[in-house]
Amino acid sequence: MGNLVSVRDLRVSFRLGKSHVVDAVRGISFDIPENSAVALVGESGSGKSVSAMSIVRLLPENAIVSADSRIEFGGRNLLTEPIEVLRDIRGKDITVVFQEPMSSLNPVFTVGDQIAEVLQLHRGLSRRQSMERVVELLNEVGIPDPRPRLASYPHELSGGQQQRVMIAIAIACEPKLLIADEPTTALDVTVQRQILELIANLRAKFKMSVLFISHDLALVGEIADQVVVMREGVVRENDSVVRIFSQPKDPYTLALLACRPRLDAKPRRLPVIDDFLSADGTTSLAPVVLALAAEIRQARPPEPVPIVEARGLRKEYRLKTGLFARKQIDAVKDASFGLARGRTLGVVGESGSGKTTVGMLLMRLVQPTAGQVLFEGKDLLALSDAALMAYRRRIQIIFQNPYASLNPRFTVGQILTEPMRVHGIGDSDDERFAMAVALARRVGLPPDCIHKYPHEFSGGQRQRIAIARVLSMRPEVIICDESVSALDVSVQATVLNLLLDLQDEFAISYLFISHDLAVVKYMADDILVMSQGAIVERGPSEAIYEAPQHEYTKKLLAAIPRGFQRVPA
Amino acid sequence: MAAYILRRLWQMIPTLAGVILLVFFLFKFFGGDPAEILGGLLATPDQIEAIRTQLGLNEPWYVQLGIFLKSIFTFKWGNSWTTSEAVSNIFATRLPATLTVMTPILLLDVVLGVTAAMAVAYVRGSLTDRTIMVITTIMLSISFLVYIIVGQWLFGFYLGWFPVQGWSDSVLTNLTTYVVLPVALAVFVSLAPQTRLYRSFFLDELGQDYVRTARAKGVSENRVLFKHVLRNALIPVLTNVSVQLPGIFVGSFLIETFFSIPGLGREVLLAVNRSDYPVIQAVTVYLAVLTMVINLVADVLYRTVDPRVVLK
Amino acid sequence: MSAATIGAKAIVPARPERSAGVWATAWRRLRNDRVGMVSLAIVIAFVLLIIASALGLVAKDWQKEIGVPNAPPTFVGPRVEEATKDPLASLVAKDAKPVDLSDIDPLAPKYKEWSERAAKIQIADPPRAQTLAFGADRLGRDVLSKAVKGAEISIFVGLFAAVVATLIGTVLGALAGYVGGKLGDFLEWVYNVFTSIPDILLIFAFAAVLGRGIGTVVMILGLAGWTGMYRQVRAEYIKHRTREYVRAAEAIGVTHAQRMFVHILPNVSHVILVRMSLLVVGFIKAEVILSFLGLGVPVDQVSWGTMLSEAQAELVLGNWWQLAAATLFMAVFVTAFSLLTDALRDALDPKLR
Repeated sequence: MGNLVSVRDLRVSFRLGKSHVVDAVRGISFDIPENSAVALVGESGSGKSVSAMSIVRLLPENAIVSADSRIEFGGRNLLTEPIEVLRDIRGKDITVVFQEPMSSLNPVFTVGDQIAEVLQLHRGLSRRQSMERVVELLNEVGIPDPRPRLASYPHELSGGQQQRVMIAIAIACEPKLLIADEPTTALDVTVQRQILELIANLRAKFKMSVLFISHDLALVGEIADQVVVMREGVVRENDSVVRIFSQPKDPYTLALLACRPRLDAKPRRLPVIDDFLSADGTTSLAPVVLALAAEIRQARPPEPVPIVEARGLRKEYRLKTGLFARKQIDAVKDASFGLARGRTLGVVGESGSGKTTVGMLLMRLVQPTAGQVLFEGKDLLALSDAALMAYRRRIQIIFQNPYASLNPRFTVGQILTEPMRVHGIGDSDDERFAMAVALARRVGLPPDCIHKYPHEFSGGQRQRIAIARVLSMRPEVIICDESVSALDVSVQATVLNLLLDLQDEFAISYLFISHDLAVVKYMADDILVMSQGAIVERGPSEAIYEAPQHEYTKKLLAAIPRGFQRVPA
Repeated sequence: MAAYILRRLWQMIPTLAGVILLVFFLFKFFGGDPAEILGGLLATPDQIEAIRTQLGLNEPWYVQLGIFLKSIFTFKWGNSWTTSEAVSNIFATRLPATLTVMTPILLLDVVLGVTAAMAVAYVRGSLTDRTIMVITTIMLSISFLVYIIVGQWLFGFYLGWFPVQGWSDSVLTNLTTYVVLPVALAVFVSLAPQTRLYRSFFLDELGQDYVRTARAKGVSENRVLFKHVLRNALIPVLTNVSVQLPGIFVGSFLIETFFSIPGLGREVLLAVNRSDYPVIQAVTVYLAVLTMVINLVADVLYRTVDPRVVLK
Repeated sequence: MSAATIGAKAIVPARPERSAGVWATAWRRLRNDRVGMVSLAIVIAFVLLIIASALGLVAKDWQKEIGVPNAPPTFVGPRVEEATKDPLASLVAKDAKPVDLSDIDPLAPKYKEWSERAAKIQIADPPRAQTLAFGADRLGRDVLSKAVKGAEISIFVGLFAAVVATLIGTVLGALAGYVGGKLGDFLEWVYNVFTSIPDILLIFAFAAVLGRGIGTVVMILGLAGWTGMYRQVRAEYIKHRTREYVRAAEAIGVTHAQRMFVHILPNVSHVILVRMSLLVVGFIKAEVILSFLGLGVPVDQVSWGTMLSEAQAELVLGNWWQLAAATLFMAVFVTAFSLLTDALRDALDPKLR
């Protein structure tokens, strides 16, 4: 089999401002063979998206591509061909599916028109002919009852359906190469699996190649034949999928494989990138992982009385839909559970399950419609605002988005000392600042961060600042609302390790909310599975994963990307 | 749809009530004594008192409010205090002139503005783009008055191409002779701000994800701009037009004053100078109603332009 | 809970180079923008000029009629007096002597007495200048002084009206956006009432009842122009109140007032600043039109608008300098201010964060 696309020595930089140039891709080379699936894997800033977009020259206006770079397709260098040639190839021979289907579709044109456009453009079909073909395509991508859908607008479809429409656009002209840029990242886990299977099926049917871009190695392991691992603009490893997973050579690849929490083990501590990358960039995996894996994490035995107990929590939203009609949405339906001291309760579910709302209700950031939240026996929801202040210290929350949870106009010092000032911790500003420095050190930040602003820190560091802020009040219960979901894999491991250390040291109870099943399984002692506002299953985490009872739980577990998870010998 | 319109009409009532109250109390507590104004400088105290009784000014304020309300809903505002012309007649006769001038201005504004903005968006980032932006900034810094003064002097006085004032009964004559210079000047002046505004709409749309998808499909740049982006940019354009529309009825006052066109704007200005309260009050209240109706029509039209809009 | 770990005294590092906040970073960006810096210089120059004018250091005597009526500007040169062609001269004989009417003129005996008395009175009437720096208006007043004084009035009104509108709009917008509920509904109603009436009409209505005067104009423009700021501030507060950093502050126990003004306001201030700059330009232009129509500054004051109203008649006679002066001063200031606003907006690009 020949190569469909060959990328040789690709170098891409971006011009920001007058003299500021940033290198995004620093000389990478790889091949995409015919009729095969190649995965481009890397974390944020690795340059994977930029590399893929360079193939069709869909780069922003401030991008600079080196003259020595070559991308060969059909005997031509796509980087130097005139733009008309590129336009002919786009949508016909090489097509793209993007990450965010909602914003990638034109909101004012119907679904039918948008798919038909490629057919009219490249196949010269008339409107009526193209519409017939569109119906076939919609069937192909698994949209039920396609004919009425022709007149639908994008916002009337769910995320999964929108992505199917994007795929329909991409396969309409039976391309040779489909570039899928993180196509499932914005979707729920169960939908993710459906889309993955769809892409795999279409690939087999049309014998086209797929370039699949992702940050999730496990996901990619299921459908790719070849994996290219990138980091900071260079290729770290490029090999068949079997060898990547069984005999990874590059320390970074090892790190990516090892840092993800695994479903079959509960080591005391997750390995992190630094464990693998020593000064000369080479380390052998075996001793590190074996040492960590040997120590199994012990959970604190549960006490008879839970520190926090939720009874019959309910949250209903009423929306006005007509002149007098109202629609009721039950975000949380009758949730009751207990959280024991020093243990972690995981809450798992997809979007719309109500898991985040539960956390908000416990914190009284959202007012419940009914129910009680008992903290050491006292109902928090019945307290006055003044009385609540005493409890605010003891139960705290870490949010998902590290870029939004810190006030951009406050210095780190101000962020850390504000809670102290509110709750009267510390006698003077100097003492509080000293405590802030100690906190920063505890979470692994350099002491001079006190005077810096949040925008000077990375996502993982900001999450540490958020943890330090919460810690300044010495809470007994911390709600982690998707606290690591927005972080890269390698960074996730460091933050999770920090949370576990703090739990060991201070006997903090965690309510760990996430959609990421592997992470929840690793962190939680007990798990609640939620779907559409209701708790559908509960139990110890091992039991849930080994013997799920509820249909939904089974579906959720089946959707977890497993890749090729083999411990290297 | 009917339910939506009904709901909106229902919601207009408190706003209208607010406008009526605002106008009433503004003129009652801050304005001069209407009896004195109406009586004129030479009126005796007895005459003023007589006028006061006639206008009901000695009644408690809620009775006066009632009289005010009655005049709104029966369209009987009495007569102008200065010309004794019935206010309703003033409306009827001046409105056509205003529309004859302002309708062409509005249409040309939008058409030329959108065209110019698209052209500038097409060459965005280039020297042409930046030069045009600087030129428009400078043009915007010169008062509208200067344009009219110079325009009138140049085309009317010096070159003698157009008359500087005058009006006729025939719409056609008006459109071809008297309206040309004022419309040309007004459109010229508004070209700068409209181009800048619409350009920003286009640039916003060009930065959206769906444009990237269109390019990925192999759509040419022309088609991206003229089909994909234009269609989306029309939404904020519609918003902008619906916001400007109520203003044209009075906004023309400068043009009408300069060119002695007997329109509503000039009438209001004269009324302000002469403290002619009934005229000002009537125009204010009715234009407020007109604005609300135009907003409602615009919102309903949105549905055809933006399919995401849900009229609840 | 081990208090020892967290409460342990640590050495706070000294604050050597203070990390740059948003404003300091914005200033650095602005410094690199040449157009922005030139505009800033021009605006500052104007501000200094109008302060000097307000203090009476310059243009104090703008009302003095020191020039010949309609004297041309110095750089054009004095008006060449054409020999007045008296149309009747051809009818008068060349060496005709005036007719002596003394015997029938009843005032004849008094002339000698009067000319003696007149000779005793000294009128210190300084000779009127033939040209002035930028010419004179129809009364002989110095156009340059008028332009400077007009700048003082117009810019002052523009700035203060913008401040008034900003204060009203920000406070109401913050309350409406943050608190919402019944208060928000009420404020929306007020907003709807004010925006139902077209701007110019609102200004006219206020002008009709409140009359002329600088303070009045500031109030009128401020009261008619707060709605745009309100809309924007309200939208910003609605956007920010559900942001996680505000939620986090609530979770900690920070009060509503603190959240509104200590947490959210600094994040909205750059938007407010840019909008206020736009208001300044709009209000200056509005004031000029109001004064032109006689609804703005009182008769004894000068504004660029009053200068323009005089200029209309002057232009027909060929006297263009008052129009040019007013237009030039206004154009330079407004252009500089607009470019400064654009540069400010670019410098405050939120992507900084």
